[in-house]
This record gives sequence, structure tokens and C-alpha cells, in this order.
Amino acid sequence: MGINQTLSYDALVVGGGIAGLQAALDLADQDYSVAVVERDASIGGTMIRLSKVFPTLDCASCITTPKMAAAAHHPKITILTYCELESMEKDGQGRVRAVVRKKPRYVDEDKCIGCRQCEYHCPVYVPDPDQGNFAARKAICVPFSNAVPQIAVMDPDHCMLCGTCAKVCPTGAVVYDQKPETLIIEALTAVVATGFSVTPLEDKAQYGSGTIPNVITGLQMERLLAPHGPYNRVLRPSDGMEPDSIAFVQCAGSRDKSMGIPYCSRICCMYAIKQAMLLSGALPLADITIYYMDIRAFGKGYEQFFQNAQAMGIQFVKAKVALIEPGEDGSVTVRYEDQMSGGTTQVSHDLVVLSSGKVPGWNPQGRCPLTVGPDGFISGPEPKLAPTRTVEEGIFAAGAAVGLKDIVDSIAEASAAAMHAANYLESRKKGLGAVA
Amino acid sequence: MEEKRNLASDGSDAPRVGIYICHCGGNISDHVDVEVLCEKAEKIPGVAVARRNMFMCSDPGQELIMEDIRSGKVNRIVVASCSPSLHEMTFRSALERAGANPYVYEHANIREQVSWVHHGEPATEKAFQLISAAAAKARLLEPLEPLRVEARRHATVIGAGIAGLRAAVDLADRGFQVALLEKTPFAGGRVARLDRLAPTGEAASEAILSLARRVMEHPAITFYPCAQVVGFDGYVGNFSLELQVEPPAAEDAVPPSNLPPAGDGEPVFVPSRGVLLGPLPTEKGRIQVETGVVVLATGFKPYTPRKGEYGYGELPEVMTLPQFIEALRDAQADGSVLMLSGRPIRSIAMIHCVGSRQIPGIHEEDASGYLNEYCSRTCCSATLFAANQVRTRYPETRVFEFYRDIRAYGRGQEELYQEAARNKVLFLRFEPEDPPRVERSDGSSGTPLVVRVKDALTFGEEVQVPADLVVLAVGMEPTGIQDLVDLMKLPVGADRFLLEVHPKLRPVELATTGLLLAGTCQAPMDVSEACNAASAAASKAASLLAKGYVQLDPFVAEVDMEKCQGTGSCVEACLADGAIELVDVVVNGETVRRARVVQALCLGCGACVAACPSGAIQVKGSTLAQFEAMVDAIASHEAA
Amino acid sequence: MGAPAGEGKILILATESCAYPGADAVGQAHITYPANTYILKVKAPVLFPEEFYLRCFDKGISGIIVMSCGVECPYEGAYEALAKRIDRVYQLMKQRGLDIRRLRLTSICTVCTRAFVNEVKQMQEVIRELGPPGSETKTSEEAAAAAESA
Repeated sequence: MGINQTLSYDALVVGGGIAGLQAALDLADQDYSVAVVERDASIGGTMIRLSKVFPTLDCASCITTPKMAAAAHHPKITILTYCELESMEKDGQGRVRAVVRKKPRYVDEDKCIGCRQCEYHCPVYVPDPDQGNFAARKAICVPFSNAVPQIAVMDPDHCMLCGTCAKVCPTGAVVYDQKPETLIIEALTAVVATGFSVTPLEDKAQYGSGTIPNVITGLQMERLLAPHGPYNRVLRPSDGMEPDSIAFVQCAGSRDKSMGIPYCSRICCMYAIKQAMLLSGALPLADITIYYMDIRAFGKGYEQFFQNAQAMGIQFVKAKVALIEPGEDGSVTVRYEDQMSGGTTQVSHDLVVLSSGKVPGWNPQGRCPLTVGPDGFISGPEPKLAPTRTVEEGIFAAGAAVGLKDIVDSIAEASAAAMHAANYLESRKKGLGAVA
Repeated sequence: MEEKRNLASDGSDAPRVGIYICHCGGNISDHVDVEVLCEKAEKIPGVAVARRNMFMCSDPGQELIMEDIRSGKVNRIVVASCSPSLHEMTFRSALERAGANPYVYEHANIREQVSWVHHGEPATEKAFQLISAAAAKARLLEPLEPLRVEARRHATVIGAGIAGLRAAVDLADRGFQVALLEKTPFAGGRVARLDRLAPTGEAASEAILSLARRVMEHPAITFYPCAQVVGFDGYVGNFSLELQVEPPAAEDAVPPSNLPPAGDGEPVFVPSRGVLLGPLPTEKGRIQVETGVVVLATGFKPYTPRKGEYGYGELPEVMTLPQFIEALRDAQADGSVLMLSGRPIRSIAMIHCVGSRQIPGIHEEDASGYLNEYCSRTCCSATLFAANQVRTRYPETRVFEFYRDIRAYGRGQEELYQEAARNKVLFLRFEPEDPPRVERSDGSSGTPLVVRVKDALTFGEEVQVPADLVVLAVGMEPTGIQDLVDLMKLPVGADRFLLEVHPKLRPVELATTGLLLAGTCQAPMDVSEACNAASAAASKAASLLAKGYVQLDPFVAEVDMEKCQGTGSCVEACLADGAIELVDVVVNGETVRRARVVQALCLGCGACVAACPSGAIQVKGSTLAQFEAMVDAIASHEAA
Repeated sequence: MGAPAGEGKILILATESCAYPGADAVGQAHITYPANTYILKVKAPVLFPEEFYLRCFDKGISGIIVMSCGVECPYEGAYEALAKRIDRVYQLMKQRGLDIRRLRLTSICTVCTRAFVNEVKQMQEVIRELGPPGSETKTSEEAAAAAESA
């Protein structure tokens, strides 16, 4: 692939998470050519990293992988992973023009066959963020077992340049001096599906700023629960003990003005309930407590899911947790104001999960002339009738990029964005036809 | 195509079954000994190879299968993994990509029906027998070609509420002809009864009008007011609907001033009714609509509280939130105190979760024995929004909200909650088993009513709130569409809303290809969510119709002309009108009667199969011989 | 522990639009039930002729549960036709000295997890009581006929 290559498609989808993939599939199924630009080395987004999903408790991988595979194999879809969107704007003719930086994998994508010989032989272990940093991976590896594409990527910050990977690679795919490339993508329309990130723990001193052992995030708990997780079972990270008492602290970084995040992150109640249910299956004797302000089980089948969790014996305590401190022997002390009896209560747990809030995954400022609301998420002119429209005609947005939402709502919204994009495409094609 | 056919149907080429067993990342392999299974499976007669993978659905997993097909090692595939509802299509398409016919495939469900429900040795044993059964069937599978059905580039939308309007506009813009049906004279549905939309405060009338204008202007959309579906027939791409139109009933009579002016005039919004988009029928009639897909946008109705539920129907000062929204809309714009029907309202008690989040044993079932166990999703924000309106317009009117959880989940909704707190709306939280009690006041409160509650926010203290008005935030129920449910055989969930195939894999589709869901007929939604669902349904319709033809599964009945005796038993047994007919054919110079299947009409149910005295008719992809082979494998005593 | 020999096997004919997803729902809820149950996915059990059921018993299947969609059946009239057929199978079973409790027609919806498990448990009790097919107490006439045909 040469530098400054220009590629043309009917539609460009920014983000290869579940929303981006659904938008791409809907457009491609209508016979439009689509490029998907994904910042990570694999498509699949947050969803592919989850254990199971509410309210059906399907395994996340089982719902995501078919869409990943369908997109990867669709004759009308081109997937560009490990690519960062530098800028995206409309050109003089009203076409979307995106500048994309293709980050170096230090592995030739065309040569790599995903055999993982490099990974098996690499001597360098690096904490694996895709396992919540609870396990290690190699400095060169295929990102995770069900990644698409199955192409290795090297971590240049940790590589010792020992040369082992290059020696064992059967296809000579390792390229130590690979350079970033710039691609220009032209399209008639675009869908932005850039998702969300987790509120950084460092910002919340009352909850230990991320330094208390055995205080973990919801996404880390997902990995502990995943069938292919770091320990293959739920263990406390500090000492490998099987926790007897686990607490979820809701609204950790949501509905919290002190952190500059006044809004509700919308998904945390349900994922905490789901994790609590999975935990009570994995650790039937453990006490599980959810500290919450309001349980927001609003979606189809969600309230019934919440009621089931209560019936399973999961404790719901209405309280805003004021303080989290390290306790003895790796335990964690949670201090909260008890609304039923009054006064401050202090409870010790073996493991505490912060149901961390969420922030936008991408900020268009300086890269793309889209507007954002006070919450930082992309805003548009028609939030009621066409929530996926943005201020830029022909550029649409879907999923958590336009305000946090769960998987079900993201998927529906992605299809909606695809519909609007298709109609814009049709009108543009007619317009272009008339000019020609 | 020819190549594909040859691959598996080459007579000289005996079936070579490949078995692919998934660990499902431990979901299966934690309970089923996959290694043993794999070894045993390889020894099943007719099996050429058995392999296993951590995630058979992943790319490398699929690649295993595809490589064996391409190398000619196998020509029949069995995947043993999760439920076929998740991945049967995934694997069929992998077969196709490897150049094989996608129908030489059989699925063994060893997760939902084995590893998740059985443990230890019996789990492995059962998994083995299911795999043997699948292999036995696979040996008998023949390649099939999908049916190609011409599709009308026409869509029908049932219901002209906000979701129906949105879907109609999207479909018409995409280049399809659209029939938009509405059983009332008006477009706009429930949104027409709203004033401003939470949380952003747009006028509901404007939302309806902006779509209504586009419906009126669009030459591709035909609007049928006062229309009901009375006949339904056909299949994707070729549905027939029979509509009955009737002049509006007397109570629906429309003053002429509401009628849209001729030509390109501006549609008129009638508060609480909606928008008229064209002339109304003046006499009863039937209309036939031929269409490619049907989008259901039949909407919801607010829950009607039981007589006496929080005093409803007994105390005149108790009303529902939708009633209150209309009253507030029609009240004088501002003043120190809200006046309703000449009565000053100094204190309003709003009670959440009326007819939602009902709990068996605590709440009372409705007349038909149902409880609304679900959350209605929209009422918290609507209530907060109304409370804020009251507090800003009438500063002397106090508002108390009685709630279980405030579900201000969406964008801008938490801000409504904060605004309500700033507006000094008072919140009292109750447990479902201790709901507020609405009572006639003994006069000491200075209000006609008092509401008593054990307030969980003040440690269970019994609180008494004086109230001039009690507003019940009633939930949503699906519109009564039993006639459509029966006519179109629509799947309904335990919550009585229409039931999608899968909330994530196919969220706006029904099991019958070509029937789609838009908006609150599926679940409670707000306007944004209903419009997204409607656009999503339009997108699925576009995928189906864009090419002008639809491909269908080939699982239809097929007659073996050698065996057919022309008895006609199959025609008699057939459940689909006209799917089997008797025709004259010439055999050895003699004219005889034989059965013939009309494929596009055949449902593939197999009623004919059981009826045929000579075993001459079979359903492709599930023949009796295949079932018998599976039973043989299951009954056999070979253990894993 | 394996299924003891003679515990027998239960065949479940489950409709693809109701009972089969219902069985999946049981799996998703991780509700345990006996492993001697084998589910065949069928579009509509109306496909099977009377002899199919009898042949299953001949092959040693101890019990059959037909899990249909009931009146929710997507194929109009199929359930009624099926019910009639099952009645005829019962007649034939009686003639052969097979206890008719070995065959049960029921309807299971996509979320009927409890009903599914109950049906399985009941059939389990029936086949425990009856033993393998053909071992029922027979009238002397029938036994003689059976002996003759064997």
C-alpha cells in the first residue's frame, strides 16, 4: 500500500464497533461500497471485549463475531484497521474527504497468516489491556483470540528488537522499520460511530484515584467473567483469592458534577446487574451488593432482569458511596450514607467494582466540523425525528458517539443512520448524474 | 453455480462429512469433553474429519472448515456449537465462500441444549449422540438452490403515528412506492396528544407536521386514512393486503376547517387529534394493496388505571399523565397558580410507575390476567418535564413526585431531574409493597386529597402530602391489535408487545421475512427511539427490496414424480391455499395426474409429507429419511 | 455418571419457531434437566406420519414429547391436523400394547422454560415406571400377537 493512496467508496464508516459494523452491513446489503476505518487492530469495539450481554445473557462474542465476520467477508465492505482518522470534511463538490493515518503494525498485513509463531516465541511479556491488564501478552501478538483480522501487531514500546519474531515468521511478515502511511478516503456519505471510553478512575480521589488494590472497573470485571478471561474464573487480582463479598458502586463517574460528568451513563445499572448475576452463578456462596442511586432498568426485558437479580439474592442498597478506602488484607472499605436507617455505614468487601461512567470515544474538534453538546457527545439538528443527522449534511452519527446507549439501541440507531446515509447517497447520485 | 452443485451432488463422490466442534471459549468445553468428542466423532461412519476450535465462529474457526472444503477433504459439514439461531447462517455462508453449496450443512446444538444444561459424562455422551445424529442427517443432505422471488418495490406501513410517518418518508426517499395506512382519520398518533417533547421541549405538533408535510408532498406515498387491514396473504416481495375503509365514525367527525387545502397547501394540526393528510373516505369500501414488505407501526396506548387504583375513576381530582399534559397545554399560559376547570391547583402529587413495573403478588392482574412487569421507559422523563413546566409557569403550585427509581437514562434527561430539584420539586421514594395511598382529605389539609406514603428517603417516615390534584404517570401498553396478530400471525412476547427475532442480531425484524417493526408496537420508546426504530426498519426493507428480487430458503416440498400416484392426498392435507396442485402429465404415452408444488407459496410445513401414501413428497432439507436416520443415531447405544 | 442402561431415551420434536427456542431459553437460564433428552428441530411436527412414531418406539426410544407451538402455530391448521394424527397414533399404540403416556403432545413457547422442564420431568417419571418400550404389561392376546410377529 503506497503512501498517499486515495480510495473511493460510496460510504465511509468511522469506527468498527457494533454500531459501525451494523451501519456498514446495512449499507453494503443495499449494494453500496463501504469502507470501515477502525482505530484498533481489530474490529468489534467494546462489545467483543465483554463477557455476556444483558438481558438475554448471550455471550457477547456470539453476537459480535457473526457481524464481524459478515462485515469482513462482505464483498462491498473494505475494513481498514489500525487506522486513525486525522480529519474528515466535505470538499468543494460536497464529497466527504477523510485523511487517515495508517499506524505501523510492524507486520506486513498481506504476508501475515495469523499463525502466531511470532507471539509464541516472543520473549517479552506486556500487560494485556484486552484482559483488563490482569494477564500478560507478548510484545508481538494477534490482539485477541477472536480478533478480525487475524493479523499480528507489534508493540514498539516494549519490543527489544531481539529479532526472534522475524526469524520464526514463516512468511517474512515482520517489518521492523514499517512507517505510518497516509490514506485519503473519498466517499459520498459518512457515518461516525466512534463509541465511548471509560471515565478515568484517576479523577476520583474519594474512590482512591485508581490506586486501591481490588477496586476494579466494570470493564475489568467483564474480563474476569469472560469464558476466555485472564484467570478462567473470578479471582481477586491482588492475591488470587476467591472473593466472598463483592460490591458494585454505581454512578462512579456518572451523575457526578465533581467529575464534570453530570449525565447518566445509561448502561451501568444493567451491566452491573448482569455482572452480579454472572458472579452469583460463578461464586454461589458470595455476597453480592449493588450500591445504587436509582436502578435504571428501562429497556425491553430489563426490568424483569432486575427483578430476577433481586430474586437471586443480590443485595440492592440505595446509597451514594462517599468514600472507598483500602482495608486490611486486601479488603476494601466502602463508606456510604444509609438511606434506610440514617447515618454513615461502613462495610468491608473483598472486591469492589466501580460501575464507571463513560465519556465520548472521539472528539471531532479540530478534525471534523461536527458539533458536540455540553456532554461532549456529537449533537445534531433533529434529535427527535432524525437523531443520527449531524450539522454537516451527508455525515451521520450513530451509537454511543451521539450519546451513550446500550447495544440494542446502538444497533437500531446504526441501521437508522444507514437509512439516512442511503437516502443521502441516492439524492447525491441523482444530483451527480444530472450534472454529468 | 454449476461448480457448487457438482461439489456435493457428484454421484460418484460419496458423502464425506466434516465435523467441527466449538469450545465456545469454555462455554462448551468446561462441561463437555471436546477432545474425547472429537476423537469419537472421527469414527462415525461417513465422517472424513473431526476438528475443534476455541471459537468455531471466529475467522480462524471458519477457515478450518473452508480449507477442508476447498481441499476436497469434506463435502458435508456438521458444526457442533451454540444454538443454530446464532450461527447457522454464519456457517452456511462460510460454506458458500469456500465454494460449497450452503445447504450441505447440519448444526448440532451442544451449548444451549447440552453444556449449559447438563454436566459431567452425560453431557459429553449427549453431545456425541447429537453430533452422530447430525452426521447421519448430513450424509443424506443434498445441495439446494435458494428460491428467487421477484419483489415489488413497494412497502406498506401500518400506522401513521410518528414511527409510521418516519418509515414512510424514509422508504419513499429510497425510491419505493409506499402505502401508509391509518385506522383513524389523522396522522400523528399518540404524539398528537403531547404538547412539548421531553427533554428538549420541541413542539410535538411541529414534529408531526414536519414529517406530515413530506408525506403529503411525496408523490410515492399514498395515505389511506380510516383504513383497517382485513386480509393478508403472500410472502416477502409479494404480500397482498386487503383494506377496509370506512367514513369516520360520528365521534371522529372532522370539521371542514381541519381539512387540508387542495393542492400544495399546508397541513393543519388539530391538537390531540393530529394532522389530516387528505380527503377521508365517504363510503365504505375495500382496497387491495400489493406490496413487498409490511412495516408494523401500530403504536401503544396508555395504561388505564383500574377503578380505585390510586383513587382513579372514584376521586375526580385524580387523572393520568396524558390527561394532565393535555390539561396543562390548554391551561392559561402562566400565573402564580395553575388553574384547571376554574379550580386553583396549589399542590400536585405525581405518582410514578402506574401500570408499569408491576410485581406478581403485589400488584393486581388486569381483567385478562396480565401484569405489566416491564418499565415503560418514557414516563419518568415525561413526568419530570411536566413538573418543571408547572414549576416554571406557576411558581405557587407545588409538585411532589412519588417514585421508585427515577429513570432519567437518556441524553438530556438527567438534566431534567436536576432542574426539577432546582425547581424545588419534592421527591418521595416508595417501595412497591408500600405504595402511596390517595385519600379524601378530612379537611385539615385544606386540599380535597391527601397522599400518604412511607418515604424511603427519610428512613421510612410516614409522610402526608396535601394534594389538589393527583397525576398518575401511567405506563405504555401495546395498542389492541389482536386482529392483526391473528391475521398476520405476528409473534407476541410475554409483555404483549410484538416480539423481534433477536434484540441484537435482528432487532426490527419478525420471523416472517418481510415483516418489520417500527416504534412502540415493539416496546416502550420515546420519539427519538421510535424514529430510529422506524428508520432502521426502513433500512431492512431497503436491503430486501433494493435488488427487485428476494432470495428465499429452499425448504419447500418437492414431488418425486416416479413415486407419485396422483392420489391428491397431499393437496387435501396442504395448509397453504394453492401450494400444491394436481396437473396432467404424460408418462409413457399415458396422461396421468400428478402433484405439483407452487414453491413460492409452499410453507414447508410438511403436512403433505405425512399424508402421502407412497412417500412421494418430501420437504427439501428435512426429509423423513433424514429424520429417521437421526433417530437411528440417537437410539443407538454407542456411547462417547 | 452415565445414564443407566434401561433409563431409556426421550425424543423431543421441537418446533423451530416456539419450542426449540424455548429449549434454548432453558439453556440460557442454565436450568438443568435430564440428559437423556434429544431434541430434533422441526418446522412443524405435522410432517411425521403415524408410522414414524411407532418406528421410534421400535428403535427403543422410550418416550416422545411433541413440543409444538399449539394454537400459536405459524402454519394455520397444522396444529389441529397434528392433534388428530397423534390421536391416531394413540390408537395404534394401544393396539401394540404400548402405554400411550409414552407419547405426549404439548405446546411450549419461546420463553416457557418451566413448562419445558416440567414436561421432561413428567416423561422421565413415565419411562422410569414403564421401562423400555414393549415391556408394558400386556394382555395375553396382545402378548401372543407380539410373540407371533417376533
